[in-house]
Amino acid sequence: MTILSPTSIDEAVAALADPAIQVLAGGTDFMVEVNAGHRRPDKVLSLRHIPELRTWEQLPARDDPAHVRLGATVTYTDMLQPDLAQLLPALAHAARTVGSPQIRNAGTIGGNLATASPAGDTLPVLAALEAVVEVASPLGVRDIPVATFITGPKRTALSPGELIVAVRLPLLDGHQEFRKIGVRNAMVIAVASLALAVDTRTRTVRCALGSVGPGPIRATEAEEWLAGTIDWDRPAATTEAPDLAYFGRLVAGAAQPIDDHRGTAAYRRHAIGVLAERAAAQAFGAGSAA
Amino acid sequence: MTDPYSLTVNGTDHQVVDAWLGESLLYVLRERLGLPGSKAGCEQGECGSCSVIVDGSLECACLILAAAAVGCDITTVEGLQPGRGDFTTVQEAFIAEGAVQCGFCTPGLVVALTDLLARVPHPSDLEVREAISGNLCRCTGYGRILAAAQAAAKAASDE
Amino acid sequence: MSGTVGAPVSRIEGLSKVTGEARYAADFPLAGLAHGWIVQSTIARGRVESVDAGAALQMPGVLAVVTATNAMRLQDVDDGELLVLQDQQVHYRGQTVALVVGDTLEQARAAADGLPVEYQAEPHDVLLSASHPRLFAPDHVNPNLPTDTLTGDVEAGLAGAAVTVDHTYSTPAEHNNPMEPHATTAFWDGDRLTVYDSNQGATRVHQALVRLFGLEDSAVRVVSEHVGGGFGSKGGARSQAVLAAMAARMLGRPIRVVLSRKQLFSLVGYRTPTIQRVRLGSDRGGRLVALDHQVVEQTSTVYEFAEQTAVFSRVMYATPNLSTSHRLVALDVPTPRWMRAPGEAPGSFAVESAMDELAEACGVDPIELRIRNEPVTEPEGGRPFSSRNLIACLREGASRFRWAERDPRPGTRRDGQWLMGTGVAASTYPARSAPSTASVSAQEDGSFIVRLTAADIGTGARTALTQVAADELQVPMDKVEVRIGDSDFGPAMIAGGSMGMASWGWVVVKACRQLIADIDRCGGVPDDGLVARADTADDIAAQADLVRHSFGAQFAEVRVDVDTGEIRVPRLLGVFAAGRIVNAKTARSQLIGGMTMGLSMALFEESLMDAEFGDYLNHDFAGYHIAANADVQRIDATWIDEEDDQLNPLGVKGIGEIGIVGTAAAIANAVYHATGQRQRHLPIRPDRVLSP
Repeated sequence: MTILSPTSIDEAVAALADPAIQVLAGGTDFMVEVNAGHRRPDKVLSLRHIPELRTWEQLPARDDPAHVRLGATVTYTDMLQPDLAQLLPALAHAARTVGSPQIRNAGTIGGNLATASPAGDTLPVLAALEAVVEVASPLGVRDIPVATFITGPKRTALSPGELIVAVRLPLLDGHQEFRKIGVRNAMVIAVASLALAVDTRTRTVRCALGSVGPGPIRATEAEEWLAGTIDWDRPAATTEAPDLAYFGRLVAGAAQPIDDHRGTAAYRRHAIGVLAERAAAQAFGAGSAA
Repeated sequence: MTDPYSLTVNGTDHQVVDAWLGESLLYVLRERLGLPGSKAGCEQGECGSCSVIVDGSLECACLILAAAAVGCDITTVEGLQPGRGDFTTVQEAFIAEGAVQCGFCTPGLVVALTDLLARVPHPSDLEVREAISGNLCRCTGYGRILAAAQAAAKAASDE
Repeated sequence: MSGTVGAPVSRIEGLSKVTGEARYAADFPLAGLAHGWIVQSTIARGRVESVDAGAALQMPGVLAVVTATNAMRLQDVDDGELLVLQDQQVHYRGQTVALVVGDTLEQARAAADGLPVEYQAEPHDVLLSASHPRLFAPDHVNPNLPTDTLTGDVEAGLAGAAVTVDHTYSTPAEHNNPMEPHATTAFWDGDRLTVYDSNQGATRVHQALVRLFGLEDSAVRVVSEHVGGGFGSKGGARSQAVLAAMAARMLGRPIRVVLSRKQLFSLVGYRTPTIQRVRLGSDRGGRLVALDHQVVEQTSTVYEFAEQTAVFSRVMYATPNLSTSHRLVALDVPTPRWMRAPGEAPGSFAVESAMDELAEACGVDPIELRIRNEPVTEPEGGRPFSSRNLIACLREGASRFRWAERDPRPGTRRDGQWLMGTGVAASTYPARSAPSTASVSAQEDGSFIVRLTAADIGTGARTALTQVAADELQVPMDKVEVRIGDSDFGPAMIAGGSMGMASWGWVVVKACRQLIADIDRCGGVPDDGLVARADTADDIAAQADLVRHSFGAQFAEVRVDVDTGEIRVPRLLGVFAAGRIVNAKTARSQLIGGMTMGLSMALFEESLMDAEFGDYLNHDFAGYHIAANADVQRIDATWIDEEDDQLNPLGVKGIGEIGIVGTAAAIANAVYHATGQRQRHLPIRPDRVLSP
């Protein structure tokens, strides 16, 4: 039984040549499985001591479109720091709703992707922003769009020997936010969640849903309808408000919810529509931010 | 069995020998290092009773693989006291404000609030609530815990 | 000297708890300690055909695999949950089918996780329904009360009533979830057994182990210095204590058995789900002419547990026609047990919701409705009350809560997306005492040591009993040491049923008075000290036949999101009449804690039975939500001064349960006031708010 705690990405990727090794990032999912007896690791690759995975950078504007590159072990707490939060406000909103300080200090963006839980809080944001996952292996680095990275509940396109090293998110120009409904006020697993991002440059609206399907779902019909309805040339406050209830219905129609102990499918579909309407009102309603 | 490794807990190096690789930091603290102050309430990061400070960061010891914490500076509830029979302002406030009942969640709460006051000397009510949002208590209804946190903050700023 | 009783004294063991020094049952270091891990059945009904221990015994550190074929034989007791590994029958999913013992806990768990167990499964029946074909009337309901009662003619009363309410309410299975999972560390010294055990009363655990292992009283010692909460689930011995003692005997080593959070969901009890039909009939002014309360609930096939859910109706409201009934069905499920305010907590939800519906139907204010139905004597049976201050609580609460400003119309107050409402409910809980023993010794240095088998599960009992003894002995508190949680101190009541302080305080007062008399008689404390012992069995048997209850009024304010159904509770207020309050600080926190558990019951707590597997599927803190601090906003508890000389020498009624009684109904009534939608099923989830 061994644990490897490399200090560089190259060492970590090399270690993954051993098919039996299990990757440990923040531990917030991994250790729950170990403690419950559902996972019994013989070899562990710990990413805790790789400084370059814990960093983020805003790539130069000439690198069009401008984006932020987050190392895989950037934590939820890191996402809440003001300099990063102002670049990626929806991601910061999502990070704030995760668990507790203890979980936010430990849990990572790479871990949230690798676990690919239908209720993963950052996943709707990553889907809405059309994030790209950077995956390294001895063969090199490849990019996987998040839409194809998550292939189902707790399933990803990650191949054996591959390590998530970073996530790239575009910097948009416009309102963005994340909303979530859970039973309790803290420490809560989402019953329904939604990310909305507006890009005034490309005149697009992006909307992705969480906890109402096997993975994050893009509400493309709703996005296109809303983008086509808005008068992008005039401030929202001076134009007639779009029919946001209709937008909510379109979003609800995109959901694929199931019944479980946290809520009925019917409730989830209703709730996601409410979240969509409220998010859109924040972005485009009277006195809105956009 | 893993190879022996060393953990730095409350400023002291401890050898861990003959351990299983999957042992959590909570398990090693309690079962191997004789430090049962951190409590096992859920082993899934939901209750906060095992909160410890690792390299200045509040975490649940149950969610840390002990063998991965080599080289980290770990502080448990046992490491907060200035001396035996003595106590910190947070600990004193918990007693004086009646924030302790069964006491099982108390070590985790004390560690969490110690972490908060180290970062934010004058927390607002909201910051206090946020700081202990991951610590469940089944006895008190939280009111006295929030009062203790504010009393501790006041005591710290008066010093 | 001025007394300390009533003062807000700080908790005596506070320092040891805030520093992590306090040792709970799983914390004691012992040389040679080995660890047991429980293997649970994966079928809900049938037989264990075989357990193949071969591979497990080859694994490193594994010392034994204890199963029904090799387990030590136990003496029969009346609780099948304690007769662990005595036969091959499986009565519910999660039942103990083996104990794997290892040098370390991890070694035991590793072997237990892969242990091959073959079963002969039979079809199981795990769902409670009001029309279940196997419903039966138990001989009595807990603790030894009539199953059914009837006064007058309820059907005639209802038929002639100007206004009637007839609805069915339900409450789900709820799990106690004390923060400390149950744990026992056991060792034998020759033929003497010592256990460090997490329980609400070492006496009951002592008695159970004495009987199960066929030992003399003096051969068993149960030590429980610090206990991390219980809420009923530690009211008696639980099977981990039996397993630890058994394995320690078989292996000749100290053994620790600690349950995981998940294991608590099948091995230590829970509150039964209930289905309650309540029928009320009244005149146009809301004066009751009939009350009928019919309860359906479950038990297991291992032990008959009959929760006393309808007893709430037997004491609350005056009516000439009153009937109550309980029907059980024995399902293939873990045995329900006590959970905070057994009976009254679920029963009050139904009746206090129904009273709110009656108030609405009559157009009478809900507080006025309760005042109009205040009885002079116990509605069922006619005995006098020792004291009854429900109306005082309602009025005090109404004043503090500004109830007079309330507009009774439902669904009319809105603040943005939030609908707002307020609600009220009444609460009650019996104020009983049980025989206990204690000793007090005078030391030559002028200090005193009190010994009794009380338990401090977080209530503050150790501190309150020190106050009581100091006042009786007329010395400062630092001259008195109260030692508790050790069965060697003699039999005493458990911390349960809100009876702890009444029972222990009584015997401590009696022992202290005896000691003072002895000191007077001796002309001082002799050089070798002096000990007085007391037993309250005769005193309690000689009590007058009165109805002794605490009462209270619960007020709630809620905000309900009009679109999502999310509920916030910005304010709860409880006003209680619970006799004398010994320690204002610990009492307030305990009452608020009870109300918080009531909020949690109202909005979150629900153990969901998976009919296919026969298991509670949300069996951890990720799936079973208890209130977090963010769920709790302004909660205040207060009390009215109440003197009652018919209780016990201290005049205390007990406060462990009453805080949770009525809270859920107050919140449900507030949700109705906010939305106009009645919530008759707990918990009040957002989806139920939108489609009740």
